[in-house]
Amino acid sequence: MISGLVTQAEVAGDLSLDCGAVVVGSGAGGATVAAELAEAGVDVVLLEEGGYHPTESFTAATGRALRTLYRDGGGGMAIGRPSVLYAEGRCVGGSTVVNGGMSWRTPTRVLSRWAEQEGLRAIGERDLDPYFAAIESRLSVGLQDPETIGRDSALFQAGAQARGWAVVPNRRNQLHCAGTNSCSSGCPTGAKRSMLVTSVPRALARGARLFADCRVDRVTRAGGAVTGVTGHFVRPGGRRGPGLTVRARVVVVAGGAIQTPALLARSGLRSASGRLGRNLSVHPNAVVTAFFDQEVTGWQGVHQAFQVREFLDEGLLLTATNLTPPMLAGILPAYGAELGELMADYNRIVTAGPLVSDTGTGRIRSLPGLGPQVFYQLTDYDAGRVARGVELTAEALFEAGARRVLLPVDAAPVVRGPDELRRLLARPVPKRSLQLYSVHLMGTARMSEDPRRGVTGSFGEFHGAAGLIVADASLFPGPIGINPMETVIALAMRNARRLVERRDSYGL
Amino acid sequence: MAEVPFQHVARRFAELVCPPEVRADQRADRVLGELGLMLGSLPPAARKALAGALVLLDQGARLYPPSRGRRFARLGDEVAGPYVRAVLARRDPAAELIRRLKSVIIMCYYELPEVQREIGYDPAPYIAAVSRRRLESYGPDIRAGEAVVTAAPGQGTPERGTP
Repeated sequence: MISGLVTQAEVAGDLSLDCGAVVVGSGAGGATVAAELAEAGVDVVLLEEGGYHPTESFTAATGRALRTLYRDGGGGMAIGRPSVLYAEGRCVGGSTVVNGGMSWRTPTRVLSRWAEQEGLRAIGERDLDPYFAAIESRLSVGLQDPETIGRDSALFQAGAQARGWAVVPNRRNQLHCAGTNSCSSGCPTGAKRSMLVTSVPRALARGARLFADCRVDRVTRAGGAVTGVTGHFVRPGGRRGPGLTVRARVVVVAGGAIQTPALLARSGLRSASGRLGRNLSVHPNAVVTAFFDQEVTGWQGVHQAFQVREFLDEGLLLTATNLTPPMLAGILPAYGAELGELMADYNRIVTAGPLVSDTGTGRIRSLPGLGPQVFYQLTDYDAGRVARGVELTAEALFEAGARRVLLPVDAAPVVRGPDELRRLLARPVPKRSLQLYSVHLMGTARMSEDPRRGVTGSFGEFHGAAGLIVADASLFPGPIGINPMETVIALAMRNARRLVERRDSYGL
Repeated sequence: MAEVPFQHVARRFAELVCPPEVRADQRADRVLGELGLMLGSLPPAARKALAGALVLLDQGARLYPPSRGRRFARLGDEVAGPYVRAVLARRDPAAELIRRLKSVIIMCYYELPEVQREIGYDPAPYIAAVSRRRLESYGPDIRAGEAVVTAAPGQGTPERGTP
């Protein structure tokens, strides 16, 4: 157990705390803010709904990971036609514990768009570069050591390059990643520099207090200012434990693009823009499964080594990502003996697919007895781009030597070559038949200097509630088209440092 | 761990949607064990939804003419197989729920270590080997990088670009 951490097992009765700033959520945004504020001498309480699971507890077991590190066993579903399955981390370190560790700066064109459309201040490339540099140093962002690149990534790279496409090696927050391919189950070596092993211990080393297994029910207010939060500890099996009251001058909410708007809404906070919980982007992605003659053993090597960036202008990013046997079997369009035959070739499979920078939006609504529910409707335009991304991915896989591919389309036949692929996808793919996933959820408390357009201001401050700051991907005015983690951290660091500069006005 | 509701239905469904080897070596029992663990991590509403899927699957068979009014759990393979195929091919919300249940059960099957070994997936020795290689190859660099995390300002490797 680390110093400064309290879990539900150590709490017998209700707790009442006072502090300067209470931070809700210990993922990319929350942990960063907690570390920055604690470093500046602010008394910080960091609250995390999930449990504390140290590096030593991590194995490649998918089921264990889903049960302990993810919200709702990783089985979130955005309701729509088609539905989009999504996953959120819920543990100390948040989604950074289970993500792939891709660390990319926000594209300049995206920052320019946000600044122009929403009048955001200090969000240009030159404004953010120093924060990106600091993050990349602290989290050891860099390229993979070559011996860790697996054959699945190498094959996909070869296929894409043979097509003449631009392929870039991934930048990841890793300190000599061993290539265990366990990113989504928690890195068993600690090489992935998630918040669990970086900003959380950094915050605790500077005096922050971390309470795990602690669900925040409400943000409390008096007049026009926030006064803290109330919540409760969660006992094993989800049973309700003792209550917690935290009084604070500043409340930072960093629960992610679903939980943050849900918490604010159930706290009675409203946005004049009407956009709280709306404007959800999900970066829908799909999985193409390719079978090769040779052994690939895609589970030996880093989670994602390359990205195909040839089609970024179309809002498409392609990459190969190995799936564990349970994850792959769960999405294959087969069962029974047929499934057994497909899975017998597990070591000859490469899984890859497109990520789409979406134009459609969804919303979060809390339903009685069900909690926050996600509604998302894929647009026809985005459906067309998913289909194009699937076709491009399959083309690259055939180029690399795949003998047959399975497409993420209901009832699609096995495709045995590029000609069959083109014939099959020459006709529009019915939107409802696409099988889609998401791990990038953004935009539900979007920044805008105009309170009629956005929920938060340029620095994450909630319009209309003094002392309330949002620090997660909810802030994004729209999709960014690439992996969002580094952007979340950069904005959190920038906004925390601005808070420190103005600490007197917050009473810190 | 949550108790798997309608265990006999869940077991029968597992026998049909998992590869045939699920019927050997009490694997179906262990699939149900994994399913119980998984259900325990779900919110109550999701648990109820999956329990509802089992009821729909079981009672829905009565409306499937070849079943002659019998529940799914009482059907032999020759009728249960085509019934499951027909259900999974439907495009209504109930079928969507049953498809999700199918995915969860299949995931539980492929979570079993002996099943993973049979398809050539045995990550523990590999992880141990590459973890050792990492430390042997980069030990000093790793220790220096880890020290950056909690180093006080001015100590350890300086952060680049601090604004």
